[in-house]
Amino acid sequence: MQKISASSLALGPDGLNIAQSFFKPIHGALPPPPTTRNTKISVIGVGNVGMAIAQTILTQDLADEIALVDVNPDKLRGEMLDLQHAAAFLPRTTISASVDHSCTVGSDLVIVTAGARQLPGESRLNLLQRNVSLFSKIIPPLSAGSPETVMMIVSNPVDILTYVAWKLSGLPANRVIGSGTNLDSSRFRFLIADHLDVNAHDVQAYIMGEHGDSSVALWSSISVGGVPILSFLDRQQIAYEKQTLENIHKEVVQGAYEVIGLKGYTSWAIGYSVSNLARTILRDQRKVHPVSVLAKGFYGINGGEVFLSLPTQLGRSGVMGVTSLHLTEDESQQLQKSAMTILEVQSELGI
Amino acid sequence: MQKTASSSTLGPDGLNIAQSFFKPIHNTSPPPTTTRNTKISVVGVGNVGMAIAQTILTQSLADEIALVDVNGDKLRGEMLDLQHAAAFLPRTKISASVDFSSTVGSDLVIVTAGARQIVGESRLNLLQRNVALFSKVVPPLAAASPECILLVVSNPVDVLTYVAWKLSGFPSNRVIGSGTNLDSSRFRFLIADHLDLNAQDVQAYIVGEHGDSSVALWSSISVGGVPILSFLERQQIAYEKQTLEKIHKEVVEGAYEVIKLKGYTSWAIGYSAASLARAILRDQRSIHPVSVLAKGFYGIDGGEPFLSLPAQLGRSGVLGVTNVHLTEDEENQLRESAKTILELQTQLGI
Repeated sequence: MQKISASSLALGPDGLNIAQSFFKPIHGALPPPPTTRNTKISVIGVGNVGMAIAQTILTQDLADEIALVDVNPDKLRGEMLDLQHAAAFLPRTTISASVDHSCTVGSDLVIVTAGARQLPGESRLNLLQRNVSLFSKIIPPLSAGSPETVMMIVSNPVDILTYVAWKLSGLPANRVIGSGTNLDSSRFRFLIADHLDVNAHDVQAYIMGEHGDSSVALWSSISVGGVPILSFLDRQQIAYEKQTLENIHKEVVQGAYEVIGLKGYTSWAIGYSVSNLARTILRDQRKVHPVSVLAKGFYGINGGEVFLSLPTQLGRSGVMGVTSLHLTEDESQQLQKSAMTILEVQSELGI
Repeated sequence: MQKTASSSTLGPDGLNIAQSFFKPIHNTSPPPTTTRNTKISVVGVGNVGMAIAQTILTQSLADEIALVDVNGDKLRGEMLDLQHAAAFLPRTKISASVDFSSTVGSDLVIVTAGARQIVGESRLNLLQRNVALFSKVVPPLAAASPECILLVVSNPVDVLTYVAWKLSGFPSNRVIGSGTNLDSSRFRFLIADHLDLNAQDVQAYIVGEHGDSSVALWSSISVGGVPILSFLERQQIAYEKQTLEKIHKEVVEGAYEVIKLKGYTSWAIGYSAASLARAILRDQRSIHPVSVLAKGFYGIDGGEPFLSLPAQLGRSGVLGVTNVHLTEDEENQLRESAKTILELQTQLGI
């Protein structure tokens, strides 16, 4: 049990102990009930991604308690202090840290970012082996410490690692979710919104399937302010080629690699993406997000237990259901191919 | 001139949906030339600059954010990383340039550029490196946004705020240093943590130099309206001056400790600067301990030092300095702090 404490040494029983008589309780007061509606989020891994997520959650006031876990105790304590020092500028949030899972007990949401970072040029699938053995060590104690938690996986390759986390945690499939293509879809919506000079919130566009090279852009379902894009183009007699659509999709997939190539990693966008998912879950928003879920039985995906991104309604209990979009035959085939890509790699893992 | 790059696969060379997507209504006139667009520029996209930019973005404080850095790749990467979050945020225009072209017409310019404080290096040692940098950076910034407020974060912040004031030609109410705003937050956190209390109920200022000679105003600390020192006396809780100094020292050490543990500080200064940005741009008229031209206050008369005093901030920058009562000891410490800063300033020859 290795908790990291920030309490001042100069204030307290060994120093200046103001606390002993500062507040006087009123008569007839009872101690607080053991079951409080405290919202607790744990973030595993305090690298660039983990800290961008933790800090965004803190700024957006989504939790009463944030617990941080990492193998590196110095880095961990430094990050915890850096957040605590902002106390005067934020609503009161308890921030704790431990190198083991002890500070995560009783979490409502556990966000796993631990794992090796994707290097420039490295495909997400190459990270896999390194991260699977790490998960075998960290996932079981996390679910044991928070048996009612929703678990969100961010580490890459996210689809397979969400499957792995599901198997290792013993949690029901509705409570294990991967951040999936939530961010890819945001990049997609940004590109279209930027071109149309419109707010990205007005662009409804999903990228589904693998969070990676075989993801599927659902062009047939893209609409802007209620106007389906492809039928708009047909009505306006604006010619377009399949190749052009594929180029736009390719630009989205390349988006992450481009940022990694330029600044060494991505952090801010994934921070906002995961914080957005955290809000939907913890505030029971019942919104639809493209996230990595157990896809078996949907859209003709039947050959095995594969996790990949589908448009999913999320709420306090995690995954409420998957929406029934109409896919073109081409999109359906691409999605099934995406599923097979993932299943091939999964079967080699032997979990 | 190196601005943002929109997608080329969408647009005249690719799929040009925009040409007929929206139809204007009849009898429209173009938008007025003076829009109330709030624009913040952040100079330097290191850990501090990006923590500030990202917090400002999350807190929705600006309509436009411009980023500037010498490193073109890093700059573009950071810009894209913020833009990619468009679906999760209110629409904010994010631009970037390695020169100052993207900063034109800013309401607030936040300068974080400069060498990072290395483990064990005191803030004053950074000085010479950063003065030369400011000579290149501040004049064009001021020329591009002649009405802006300049907020200096780079260390050593007090001297560099003075330098920025001289180089910009701005009136002194429009040049502010982040100063001891964060030190005071650390101080308030320590006390609040001990009392199991919300830090916002702790009124406590650290003033003077943002550094080793800062001054903790113990005589003015109050919690929920209860002045701490008189509370201790009434409760007959004995305390020594030494103990108070230890607590203050822990605050000063706070930054160095974080730097030693994680290599730098970022999040706390990000929140601190965003809090100042809000007070200024939303004309909050709230009091913050920030680095201002201290000449004429508390017997500080020799020269033009910038150091932190409790200052009221609003849309025009510094509205005034509050008249906090200092003990004789605190006043002496403050004047010592001013002397420390002035000594350095005179060596600069600006």
